[in-house]
Amino acid sequence: MQDQVINNDAIAINRHPPGDLAIWIFILAELSVFAVFFAAYAFTRMNNVELFNEYQLTLDRKAALLNTLALITSSYFVVRAVAAIKLNDTRGCARWIWAAIGMGFLFVLVKGAEYAHHFGEGINLSTNTFYMFYLSLTFFHFMHVIMGMVILAAVALKARRGGYSDQEHTGVETGASYWHMVDLVWLILFPLVYVMR
Amino acid sequence: MSNKIMGMRPCTLVYLALIIFTFITFYVGEQHLSGLSISLIVLLLALIKGQLVGSYFMGLGRLQGLWRWPVFIWLFIPGTLISIAFYLSA
Repeated sequence: MQDQVINNDAIAINRHPPGDLAIWIFILAELSVFAVFFAAYAFTRMNNVELFNEYQLTLDRKAALLNTLALITSSYFVVRAVAAIKLNDTRGCARWIWAAIGMGFLFVLVKGAEYAHHFGEGINLSTNTFYMFYLSLTFFHFMHVIMGMVILAAVALKARRGGYSDQEHTGVETGASYWHMVDLVWLILFPLVYVMR
Repeated sequence: MSNKIMGMRPCTLVYLALIIFTFITFYVGEQHLSGLSISLIVLLLALIKGQLVGSYFMGLGRLQGLWRWPVFIWLFIPGTLISIAFYLSA
């Protein structure tokens, strides 16, 4: 009987995504916008292949690699934070989240340096179609990184104060889900804009 | 307690796989490799990375029902559209 209760409970829990349902509605909305952006980039490129290929070479792929590694690592740190809070390790949870924010900060610094370089060369949204897509796509994502860092900081502060436990950690999972979405989008953006030609 | 941390080892392996796939993608970019087949392979790697993040990091792979699929569907739709666009421009 007890086993059955546990099994039923497990099935009930496994039907819902981790975190607050509202964040998943938001995540799906954001992912839809990025999907449209990606498709628009690819179909616009169809009529401007040479231009896109030429100006893609002006981008800093090493910076993009560093940013990809930073976001993947930060996502992994967030996974560790969720695992920590499930063990009621509130301090460990907070530490992993701060480490993830640190990786996010690295992303912001590297991307900021890229933007400074482009703007220093007089490049802007109206330079050409490729740069219009590159700047708008990456900056839209950049704003999501900033927002994700703010959300994670709020979660880390609450975790440090003991606001979460192994029984109640919806907030940690909610922040984690948003941050993984930010990572997920970049995983498509990086090859599409920096590599595929 | 062991059940609660049971997912950590797969997540660590996924993390390592994501790093390896990223370096492969970067290498392709650095070599300036181009063409439809190269682009589609790079895209496929990205879609696999996305699915790994969705299934393991986001935890959707453990779910039953509709919520198991949104990331897969999200990857499938733009992935297909990007593939078509690159195919038509090749």
